[in-house]
Amino acid sequence: MVSKHFTVINAQGFHMRPATDFANAMGKYGCRVTIKHNGRDVDGKSLMNIIAACIKVGSEIDVVCDGEGEAEALAEAAAMIENGFGE
Amino acid sequence: MRITDLLKKEGIKIGASAVDKADAIDQLIALHEVSGNLKDVSAYKEGILARESQSTTAIGMEIAIPHAKSEAVAKPALTAMTLPEGVDYGAPDGNPCKLLFMIAATTDGDVHLEVLARMMQMLMDTDFTNDLKQAKTPEEFLEIIDRKEKEKFPEEVKEEKMEEKKGYRILAVTACPTGIAHTYMAAEALTKAGEELGVSIKVETNGSGGAKNVLTKKEIEECDGIIIAADKNVEMARFNGKPVIKTPVADGIHKPAELINKVLNGEAPVFHSTEEASSADFGDDESFGRKIYKHLMNGVSHMLPFVVGGGVLIAIGFLIDTILGNATVNGAANPAFGFTSFAASIPFWIGKVAFGMMLPILSGYIAMSIADRPGLLPGMLGGIIAANGYTFKSMFEAQNLVGDGAAVSGFLGALLAGFIAGLVVNLIKKAFNWLPKAMDGIKPVFIYPLLGSFCVGAIMCLINPVIGILNTAVSNGLTSLGTSSRLILSIVLAGMMAIDMGGPFNKAAYVFGTAAIADGNTWIMAAVMIGGMVPPIAIALSTTFNKKKWTAEELKSGPVNYLMGLCFITEGAIPYAASDPLRVIPSCIVGSAAAGALTALFKVTCPAPHGGIFTFIVCGNPLLYVVALIGGSVVGALMLAILKKPAKK
Repeated sequence: MVSKHFTVINAQGFHMRPATDFANAMGKYGCRVTIKHNGRDVDGKSLMNIIAACIKVGSEIDVVCDGEGEAEALAEAAAMIENGFGE
Repeated sequence: MRITDLLKKEGIKIGASAVDKADAIDQLIALHEVSGNLKDVSAYKEGILARESQSTTAIGMEIAIPHAKSEAVAKPALTAMTLPEGVDYGAPDGNPCKLLFMIAATTDGDVHLEVLARMMQMLMDTDFTNDLKQAKTPEEFLEIIDRKEKEKFPEEVKEEKMEEKKGYRILAVTACPTGIAHTYMAAEALTKAGEELGVSIKVETNGSGGAKNVLTKKEIEECDGIIIAADKNVEMARFNGKPVIKTPVADGIHKPAELINKVLNGEAPVFHSTEEASSADFGDDESFGRKIYKHLMNGVSHMLPFVVGGGVLIAIGFLIDTILGNATVNGAANPAFGFTSFAASIPFWIGKVAFGMMLPILSGYIAMSIADRPGLLPGMLGGIIAANGYTFKSMFEAQNLVGDGAAVSGFLGALLAGFIAGLVVNLIKKAFNWLPKAMDGIKPVFIYPLLGSFCVGAIMCLINPVIGILNTAVSNGLTSLGTSSRLILSIVLAGMMAIDMGGPFNKAAYVFGTAAIADGNTWIMAAVMIGGMVPPIAIALSTTFNKKKWTAEELKSGPVNYLMGLCFITEGAIPYAASDPLRVIPSCIVGSAAAGALTALFKVTCPAPHGGIFTFIVCGNPLLYVVALIGGSVVGALMLAILKKPAKK
């Protein structure tokens, strides 16, 4: 299991497009992807769950990948979040 | 932000059909347009299409949520559509979309993300989405959402209830003379009772920090009735034509539910404001004594800071001069004690300036309580005249503003001036009722100040000479009493110091005492000074050991009175005496007289005209002087315990 801490930097947070991109990207991997936000675990492969978590700019989150390809999954997740989803 | 706040039934289309995605989008935008949510339709559409070109907003489960955050949006809003046949929206799972929501978000804030998040949380429930797809009317569609939202976010239901209280059924105003505790206790009790009875209520508190939670004009228009739980005047004109209950603040604390029910049952009389009614005749149901008390307290509570601030500064002057060794000059009393050194003179005289405003403030605010703002000027003017002893004779002959020292009517005169000014202004108001309405504007800026000042000034100039005659008579009486009986003269002089604290009796006694110093009869000044020291100390003792007799505000400035008493600043007792003269003054007189008797028995002498405890070093038998002071003060405090009733709070 690997995990990393992030601060969300893009102004609109995990709105629909970033959430869609993130869920689609994580869907490629066999591992489980969990976003820890505000004391809750959010399924990082589910668009609806990610949006429902209402992750705003400035939020402190942990992304936890557990299972097959966890290192690669986390690396891609980190690239997306740290880039502010290209926004 | 609730979904039901954003989605209105005009923005919902049930059982729609669309040939393709572009058609569906056009229809949803049209719904926004008719609901008035957009400033610029084509710019908003551009935003929606730009977003769709990045990736589809279909999220699976036959749902799509097109959205745009744009300057073209007038207010955050939603539109929705059900399409029984579905439309190809390029969904990831390839299924047609049957339920569409379109978000219009403004560029400020996080509404966009919050609405999205909230919708997702609700849409994850397939029973809910199925119900929505099968809704028959926009109303049913909204109702399903509302039900789900309340179930999912129950904590908001209460909040929403509060928000819906746009029109309060009952309004209330609470106020007490000091405005520290009871104002807020009554407000809390009324609010609680309102909650228990399920009646929306808003309470304005007129506390010491000014009015909070002020009632708006609209709220007053829309309410069923108003409860005034107050022991001082509140602004009444705004309640004209509404049912109003007036009651002491204590009722607001002890029987709030009864008051609310009275209003609900229509038992409150309709209030008609006229200029007189808004102020002087605050309530016919109020007893005469209660009204007097209320006016008096308005003056006293405004005066208190002047007394405390000035008194302590003067005491600091004495203290500094004592430290600098100016209490005595060549072993004798220093007539300029307290303002000999530079460091002492500055606080001393600043304190004296504050003291100079004490009586005008007292009378001004009494008058203002009686006659509203037009009463302030005549009231203050009357207080100044009482404090300086102006008479027609002094003004005409002296041709300046140095009054007749013998005609100073002091704090009792100022009390009188306050009530006279209030009544006079109210009479003037009545007398000018016949003026056309167009002239109303010039009454408060011209007629009331002009006539009010002149009448009150003239009346006080007539009263002062009477005080002057009294002063002379008392002085003559003292002289004829002679110095043969040390005990009797000491008792009388010390008692007189406490009668009016700066008025004719006090002045006569003090002048007699200082004159006696010149004659070498220093034992007379010992009685005079102690008579002026006992009242503040007796009151301070009472506030320390008998708290239930005093209001919260009086208790707070109680300890300062020890200091003022020790410094022979009798004025410290004035606010306490003014608020309840018939009980406090006799107590002080008895205490002072007892102390005076003790000085005679102990053969104390005092060669200094002022300075209080700081001058005891030059006195004869100083330790016994202290004993006499303590004895008299304890007697005064005991008298207060016997005579004074528990404070109305």
